[in-house]
Amino acid sequence: MSVAAMELVNLKKTIGNKNIIKGLSFSINRGEVFGFIGPNGAGKTTTIRMMVGLISISEGDVLIQGHSIKQDFKKAVREVGAIVENPEMYPFMTGWQNLKHYARMMPGVTKERIHGVVKLIGMEKAINEKVGKYSLGMRQRLGIAQALLHKPSVLILDEPTNGLDPAGIREMRGHIRHLAQEENVAVIVSSHLLSEIEQMCDRIGVIKNGEMVTLQQVGAQDNGNLVHHLTVEPTNKAKQLLEEQFDLKVVELEGDLSFRCEKEQMPAIIKSLVENDCAIYQANVVNGTLEDQFFELIGENTIE
Amino acid sequence: MSRLLKLIQNEQAKLFIRKSTWIMYIILIGIIIAGAFLTDKFSDLNEDYQGDDWRQVLQEDNKKLQQEMKKDEYAQAINPETIAKNNYYLEHDIQPAPYTAWNFVQENAGLLTFVSLLTIIIAGGIIANEFRWGSIKLLLIRPIRRSGILLSKYIATLLFSLYTTIFVFLFSWMVGAIFFGVGDLNPEIVKQVEDGFTTVSLLKETLTSYGFQIVPLVMMATFAFMISAVFRNSSLAIGISIFLMMGGSSVMGFLAQKEWAKYILFAHMDLSQYTAGNTPMIKGMTLEFSIVMLLIYYVIFIALSWMVFTKRDVAGQ
Repeated sequence: MSVAAMELVNLKKTIGNKNIIKGLSFSINRGEVFGFIGPNGAGKTTTIRMMVGLISISEGDVLIQGHSIKQDFKKAVREVGAIVENPEMYPFMTGWQNLKHYARMMPGVTKERIHGVVKLIGMEKAINEKVGKYSLGMRQRLGIAQALLHKPSVLILDEPTNGLDPAGIREMRGHIRHLAQEENVAVIVSSHLLSEIEQMCDRIGVIKNGEMVTLQQVGAQDNGNLVHHLTVEPTNKAKQLLEEQFDLKVVELEGDLSFRCEKEQMPAIIKSLVENDCAIYQANVVNGTLEDQFFELIGENTIE
Repeated sequence: MSRLLKLIQNEQAKLFIRKSTWIMYIILIGIIIAGAFLTDKFSDLNEDYQGDDWRQVLQEDNKKLQQEMKKDEYAQAINPETIAKNNYYLEHDIQPAPYTAWNFVQENAGLLTFVSLLTIIIAGGIIANEFRWGSIKLLLIRPIRRSGILLSKYIATLLFSLYTTIFVFLFSWMVGAIFFGVGDLNPEIVKQVEDGFTTVSLLKETLTSYGFQIVPLVMMATFAFMISAVFRNSSLAIGISIFLMMGGSSVMGFLAQKEWAKYILFAHMDLSQYTAGNTPMIKGMTLEFSIVMLLIYYVIFIALSWMVFTKRDVAGQ
């Protein structure tokens, strides 16, 4: 298997004696859109800043195309394009001057490439205007252009839908899907609003208080699978049974078991559980989107 | 290497795209033209001495000055020097040189204090502004070490002071040439030294005046750069630096008696204190000592900027 585009290895950040990030480990492959979700203050931006070397890593490492951001900063960061928080470009320069500025900082970015990127984000008309006059959506687009100049293998977009109207979000979604599929880029999109990025992600990771609460594939509900919740005793036995006999991915949520399966499978599952002496207290279909699960997962927006 | 040049090019572009930088130059142009205008109107430009009868004119002037001294106490204080100077011309049979563009350039060496001020404004903002704009985050995620970015910014600051100094020099000459004429290529002027007077090359004199001004210019620019890198706040950097630049030498006046005063940076800013005709600010200081002190301060400023800028986390505002 090829190297993951980006891999986080037990990443930790401690400030003073406060653990901000408590050991994140996951990897993202090329061509994949990864949604990085969590309430405000959960540690998304801190994690992203560590990914690109803006802040130091207390423990663990970030590997980008196999290069450690700690030991091999230049090689690692060459593979990354990013917008951290807002796309803050120089307001007194035009869009073109801004891109030119960043192009000079990286090897091998030709004028043709800048033109290509401008075309890709559809900014040909406004590129010679001062960035100070841009709308937020235009700045987001220019931010993406800036991040793509050097053909990175990983694109990190922190809150790319922030401040965009629904049409803007829809368009942004199109751009991001296109980049992942056509250009084979690994895209990491962070947001505190799951609904906004749910549709563009292949996989989401939910972070809460510096810990990864869940990692899951998105889009399964599209082929008719529903999320089911079971309150069952003994939980472990039931979980094992579901995983082994029905080949399901089961997540434990506050004592309940949560999994996706076809509606038609449920009677067989329940029958099997009963036969194996598992007591079922409750079984229901969760009719919501990921959004509801998200709230279930993170619960109250508490910051430790 | 070429990467560093491109980084410097970026910094220059960011400086000169902004209107505020051009306004600085417009102010400089205004000051120089106004200076030439005032000099032309109100200064003694040695015009009386340009005829063949310059010896007579000088002697008559001396008589007038002596008469003035009998009536006026103020004249008693300043006239003897002028008389002595005039006598020096007569004794050595030197015709006083006319006031030309070169004299104007030399007098404008004082304008380098203003150039220091502008450089402080640039140095104070060059790092802090990136933090204020938020663009520092996009700047530091390039395949370039932080020290490289810092170096490019420092060089850009020094280049700005260099351009501006050259601009003051050249523009003063141009304006001087229009107002006062070009004159000889290398005229000589009479200058007061320890024991009387001597003739010196005006060009050399001009270059030394500018040269001595470069020390405080570089030191204060580096200081402002350090504050900018450490505190990431341009107003703080500019404020403190200008305050110290203005107040530094006057504070030294009070402290000159103290033994430890010779370890203060501002005791060493003006190296012309070691040239003939001047006495060091504090007894016992030598040129070598001053240079060592300046170097120590310089290294501290640079080391602090580097350590803080390359190590510290770039977290949210």
